[in-house]
Amino acid sequence: MPVYKLCMKITKKNIPHLLIYIIVFLIVSSIMAVTAQKSHKEQETFSRVKTNIAFINEEESPLIEGLKDELGKAANFVELPDETETLQDALFFRRIVYILRIPEGFTQRFINGDYMPLEKTTIPDSYSSAYIDLAINKYLNTARLYIQQMGGITQEELVSYLKENLSKETNVEIPYSEPEADLNYSNYFFNYLAYSLLSILILGMSALMISYNDRDLKRRVGCSPLSDTAANLQFILANLTFAMVSWLIMVVFCLIIDAKNSLTLNTFYFIISSFIFAFCGSGMGFFIGSVAKGNETISAITNVVVLGSCFLSGVFVPVEFLGSTALKIASFTPSYWYVKANNRIAQLTHFDAAYIKPVLSDMAIVFCFGIAFFALSLVIRKNRRYS
Amino acid sequence: MVIKVKNLVKRYSELIALDHLSFSVRKGEIFGLLGPNGSGKTTAINCILSLLKYDKGEIEIFDKPMTPEAYDIKRNIGIVMQNVAVYNELSVYENIDYFCGLYVKDKNLRKKLVDEAIEFVDLNDYRKFYPNKLSGGLLRRLNIACGIAHKPELIILDEPTVAVDPQSRNKILEGIKELNKKGATIIYTSHYMEEVEQICSRIMIIDKGRAIATGTKEELKAMITLGEKITVESYDISEEHLIRLKNLPNIVSVEYKEQLLEIKSSKGKNNLENVLEFIKRENIQFGKIYSELPTLNDVFLEITGKELRD
Ligand SMILES: Nc1ncnc2c1ncn2[C@@H]1O[C@H](COP(=O)(O)OP(=O)(O)OP(=O)(O)O)[C@@H](O)[C@H]1O
Ligand SMILES: [Mg+2]
Repeated sequence: MPVYKLCMKITKKNIPHLLIYIIVFLIVSSIMAVTAQKSHKEQETFSRVKTNIAFINEEESPLIEGLKDELGKAANFVELPDETETLQDALFFRRIVYILRIPEGFTQRFINGDYMPLEKTTIPDSYSSAYIDLAINKYLNTARLYIQQMGGITQEELVSYLKENLSKETNVEIPYSEPEADLNYSNYFFNYLAYSLLSILILGMSALMISYNDRDLKRRVGCSPLSDTAANLQFILANLTFAMVSWLIMVVFCLIIDAKNSLTLNTFYFIISSFIFAFCGSGMGFFIGSVAKGNETISAITNVVVLGSCFLSGVFVPVEFLGSTALKIASFTPSYWYVKANNRIAQLTHFDAAYIKPVLSDMAIVFCFGIAFFALSLVIRKNRRYS
Repeated sequence: MVIKVKNLVKRYSELIALDHLSFSVRKGEIFGLLGPNGSGKTTAINCILSLLKYDKGEIEIFDKPMTPEAYDIKRNIGIVMQNVAVYNELSVYENIDYFCGLYVKDKNLRKKLVDEAIEFVDLNDYRKFYPNKLSGGLLRRLNIACGIAHKPELIILDEPTVAVDPQSRNKILEGIKELNKKGATIIYTSHYMEEVEQICSRIMIIDKGRAIATGTKEELKAMITLGEKITVESYDISEEHLIRLKNLPNIVSVEYKEQLLEIKSSKGKNNLENVLEFIKRENIQFGKIYSELPTLNDVFLEITGKELRD
């Protein structure tokens, strides 16, 4: 595999260049780790204070009333008009930390056993919102248990059972109601990984492509019995190797820094998500390297594509603060789906199929982006043969 | 036939780079492609190797049609491009090993071949150097080593000696002869007529994409009327002398510039003798006097009306 070996050698020569990105990434994430732990402590002292949330109700039902009562134990309800801008402002200025929206038809679907998510918007990395999540999950999970066990139970009966049950256990369950894991750090780390990984992959990949696609060298290699297919395959293989090694270094670092959370299922899903993203990033690098011609083009593209897509997708700024247009544009970039999956994973406390499914579908989208990038590059390379 | 090219036409929009070029290269010869800058030598080579699409014509190598996918043919060709093509990230050794590796899979065999190639271009002291640390001439030599390491049957060299010092150049030319003796057929492209004359067994002269003459150097020189060129260094030549000189038998042209009298004669006997006799008779004082046989430049000049080198 001469081309594969060649790629590895060229990449090795580029390591000092790439190391800068890795080191900056590792430093920034270590700083994040420290601050995340600090804010964790601060929040602990405030944890007795009730959280301010907005409860937007699109339908009235005893079940929802019961949920509101139950949440009342952990939260203050702030009355706000149902306007996106007002709600976002309230979030931004921390008047509330959580917006819970009960979509119409929720009660009926819930009783029928269909899955329908509650819509929520939170300040990311907020300790207290996890607390609310937990209260909601507890209420709904217990309710589901009753519905499954006692077929034909009326809503009123259900709510009264729930009230009794949850109040009875409240005292016992207090230590339980704390979130088990603090996922602030890993969530931030894996989101930020999108930026570093993309930069490194695209930079490394394109440096490689520039050497390889040099006109004279290409002609020279074109005289040899090496077939295009073989060359492309080896190239992609080298590409993936490089992506996987970079990914591995970063993930191992995260596991070391955030050792106490390393064994949670959340971290497991983070790792899978970032792995798929690394695959996609390698496709992106391959694509940019196939399209771009010179070094300047590459660094320009790297900045625009990587910085731009990461900014829009909520890598640096939480998605809650971005306008809907920005998010619409962002949804054409893989990093958007990657961050989305990560944010979902960070909120996961239960790992039933119903909760995991949206995470998996986001990952699948990222994966498809990767495949598309590779396919497109191959087409472009084929057409470029004679130029 | 190792290579057969028939009616090859290549156009770059308006410019006709190759105009119905036909030639063939026989097994075991060193075939020279001689032409001034921009005459289409590189274009011809690129078409032969299927690196460029051409508009018309047929190309056969080893009696098989050449296509971009003809890997069996490519396996037996070695190529030294006019533009140095090496990887800056690889050392001298690694570069040769890489290019050789495109043809030869066996590791041990390859190691031997690479060592031989390094020996061949005399780069032993530079094995671990990276290309950006090599001088222009050394880089050329690396380029050659990368092209011939796998011991191909057919070697195509496109101006391999540009920027190489005379000593190394001679070594390279000797090396090419050596490769030829060991059985390789060689196509050698250059605009240095001395080089071509020195090593090529057959020569094609091209200009503006057209073949203007093909043959051994003796055959080429026989094609033209010029027999020899006599040069006389002298201060006292008058117009009268020039006219009378021109009337001597066999003399084609007479020119007197900067104390140099240049007399061109057509093929025939006693040309130098006649001129010497004339000088003695007229009592002309002279310094040096010498006679030269025609060069390929004269061939080119006579056919195209312009000098091969400007
Ligand atoms: N890519 C191209 N596009 C347009 N014209 C080209 C291109 N490549 C070469 N030419 C033209 O084709 C003609 C032949 O070029 P070519 O490189 O074959 O000459 P050459 O004989 O190899 O010259 P040299 O001795 O300088 O290497 C030249 O006039 C050149 O300007
Ligand atoms: Mg040329």
